[in-house]
Amino acid sequence: MAYQFSENFEKLHGISHRVASSSEAVDTIAAICRQKQARCIALAGLPETVIAQLESACGADIEILKEPYPAASLPLAIDRADIGVTGMAFAIAQSGTMVEVCDNDAVRLVSSLPATHIGLLHEADIIDSYFESSGAIREIINRHGDDVVISFISGPSRTGDIELKLTLGVHGPEEAHAIIISGEQR
Amino acid sequence: MANTRIDNLKKNIAAALSDQKKSDLLLGCMKRGRDTRKAALESLPGGAAFRDDVRAAKERCIENLPELKKQFIENARKRGATVIEAKNGKDVISYCLALAEKHQAKIIAKSKSLTTEEIEMNHPLIDAGVDVVETDLGELIIQLVDERPFHLVFPSVHKMAPDVAKIFSDATGQQVADDIPSIMKVVRTYLRPIFLKSDIGLTGANIGIAETGGICIETNEGNGRLVSSIGTCHVCVIGMEKIVESIEDALLMILAHPVSASGQLPTNYVTWMHGRCDLGEGGGNDRETHLIILDNGRTEMRHGFLREALYCIRCGACMNTCPTYGIVGGHTFGHIYPGPMGICWTAGVHGMETAGDFAQLCISCGLCKEICPAKINLPQMIAEVKHEDAKNAGHLLANRVMIGADKAAKLGSATAPIANAALSSPLMRKAMEKTIGLSAERKLPPFASTTFMKRFSARTPIDDQHDPKKQVAFFVDVYANYNDPDLGLAAVAALEKQGCAVIVPDQGVSGYPCIAYGDMDGARRAAAANVEKLAPWVKKGYDVVATEPTAAYALAVSYPALLPDSQDARLLAGATHEFFEYLLRLEDEAGTPAPSEKLSGSRLGYHCSCHQRPLGSGHGAMNWLKRRGADVRLIETGTCCGMGGTFGLKAGLLGHELSSAVGEQLFTLFKEARLDAIVTESSVCSIQLAEGTGMKIYHPLQLPGLI
Repeated sequence: MAYQFSENFEKLHGISHRVASSSEAVDTIAAICRQKQARCIALAGLPETVIAQLESACGADIEILKEPYPAASLPLAIDRADIGVTGMAFAIAQSGTMVEVCDNDAVRLVSSLPATHIGLLHEADIIDSYFESSGAIREIINRHGDDVVISFISGPSRTGDIELKLTLGVHGPEEAHAIIISGEQR
Repeated sequence: MANTRIDNLKKNIAAALSDQKKSDLLLGCMKRGRDTRKAALESLPGGAAFRDDVRAAKERCIENLPELKKQFIENARKRGATVIEAKNGKDVISYCLALAEKHQAKIIAKSKSLTTEEIEMNHPLIDAGVDVVETDLGELIIQLVDERPFHLVFPSVHKMAPDVAKIFSDATGQQVADDIPSIMKVVRTYLRPIFLKSDIGLTGANIGIAETGGICIETNEGNGRLVSSIGTCHVCVIGMEKIVESIEDALLMILAHPVSASGQLPTNYVTWMHGRCDLGEGGGNDRETHLIILDNGRTEMRHGFLREALYCIRCGACMNTCPTYGIVGGHTFGHIYPGPMGICWTAGVHGMETAGDFAQLCISCGLCKEICPAKINLPQMIAEVKHEDAKNAGHLLANRVMIGADKAAKLGSATAPIANAALSSPLMRKAMEKTIGLSAERKLPPFASTTFMKRFSARTPIDDQHDPKKQVAFFVDVYANYNDPDLGLAAVAALEKQGCAVIVPDQGVSGYPCIAYGDMDGARRAAAANVEKLAPWVKKGYDVVATEPTAAYALAVSYPALLPDSQDARLLAGATHEFFEYLLRLEDEAGTPAPSEKLSGSRLGYHCSCHQRPLGSGHGAMNWLKRRGADVRLIETGTCCGMGGTFGLKAGLLGHELSSAVGEQLFTLFKEARLDAIVTESSVCSIQLAEGTGMKIYHPLQLPGLI
């Protein structure tokens, strides 16, 4: 299923990485940061352990923005970030879709303002078919309070509005990564 | 005055025909839409079967709309949303003006919303001093030049990169290079401050979910996410027909929409928004969401003949297959909503008269119905729009002539020597063009002095029919009866050879031209007459078989929709068969026929007429020809040959000229295919293809090798 997800996510011009543990995931994020020469990255919806590991992996060269984001600083604070990293609730293999859930819109800004977005997900959370997702969606909506946004993310921001030529990154991320952690439960 | 409207329409068609570049861009876009859809269907479990699910879900949700809307409103309010029901655009605009004032809004960032286009809400807000900015790239491009969408999904498809570069050079005051990556950089920089500084984010919604009180916004660019998350105030304008019952319904629509529009499953971003989240911590409780449910004629549509239009999910697939739309584009073929669905939606929300201004562009090929994810009977609804319009404006003379073409054919056959001389006299034809609008350049088939009906009843009855394999009631329609009785007799002989007892019962003409030109009273009369005459035979166990594709389509597809309360119409429809599909099955049932090599070595290009699409797409004829050794291939563009029944027989821009322009691509395909001949079962398509290609055209039964 992870294979099918990766294949479909990449068909949509996403980049997928399969890693064995969350510490390997952190290494992958750090590598992307180096490759992108990122100065500032924004995080949201990630486990404390991953945040702590990232802070030590990135060192002093890279500024790390993380929750809680003061309301007064938004949206400008997150707009400064070169890379946004968010945690994913689950993913759908059939359509190459990562599913992000938030009850604070700062999370949505982290996955949509920076030029590069990295989604972190567990292999165990990948479901096979698109229509199977209804149960998970219902459960998420019922579990959260009144305010909740579920975002399907299937690859980077794209448009075909000029001459129908596929162009990536018109508003949101021009690069979308999915890091799939196998072998660990959330 | 009707003539002023038609003159305007013709002027627009003429302008479109002289702008080949625009049309080429649009045709490329449409083809891509069809191709990517087809590829997506191949990868989808069940293929096109999802259309049945969409249809069923839409039928259910529109039937229960009042209750679902109530549930949606209650659930959305529980989540803290302010929900208002707007009767019309004016209500929406005044509500938004008040909101803008309350928030002292300077910038409204907007993501793509056809519903807000429908009510033209940008200008009043801009006039009130608010900077309303479209953030979908295509919408922004046309906003900057103050145009309307050329295509539903690709609103700016008629602009090339250099055009777009110039538009952004003008907008930004700096020189923009005309390559797409450079343009994109400029767009990103141009729009980013708009997103960040927006006070109000204005979106549409593809779906409202009654079960949860949430909305879904689908985008590819991701602008919908930014627009709905940044501004303190979020406003969503949603057409009431978008409300569905459940999460499962929503998932179905989220799939059906992009599969049909661009072959994606689903769009890159789908935002399921429930309530309004805080943005960051410690910001107080000032974040708002306002859901405006728009009626604007929808309630009335639900109770009338436009009801099925409410099943529309705005995918644009119908315009991707519409032959005349591809030539003239959405500015001519549309008001705000373009294309086939544009006729119905314009009639519903902008008035019958506005829809009537361009409804004549529909040539009733029916392809839109075949591609629609909700299986909306667009041709039927468009015919009703034409009918309503004609009640006020009258039918065009040339259309009246075509509606009565069967009577002319009857007369032509009765006076064949004279009529044929007249048809072949250039002078007479010029005069006819001037007086009745029949194109002088069209080479028409001559009339036969003895009709099929007469010849059939005069022939010696066949003896060995005591235990027929099948009983067939042959439906002949106009062409085979008055112009080509030999064809009708060949069809009967072929059926008899397979052991059928064939009768030709009393019957009328199919009446399809009445539908095509919006004479629905005439169409219903023709349908009722044939149902009355033929249904008794069906009840006696007869199958009804027709050689003319449009006749088979009328009986099998149109009549049940014309006579929704008639059980007999459904019975007749179920018993009606396209000739070759029927014949091939008889051959199959008789066991594998001895291979015949009569057509061996002949390279044939098959043209499938549009009305065969729901009736087997010509596979019956092609397989029948292959069994006789022919090398036969389907040659198709994915749209109509342009003839549109008798549309292309009419003179001028709203006839022959537009018809030829539509056919051009298909003519080229045929000419380049290295064929000995073209085969088609349609009597009118063959006129078009003969003229457009200069090649030999045959009905499959009349191929020289077989006779």
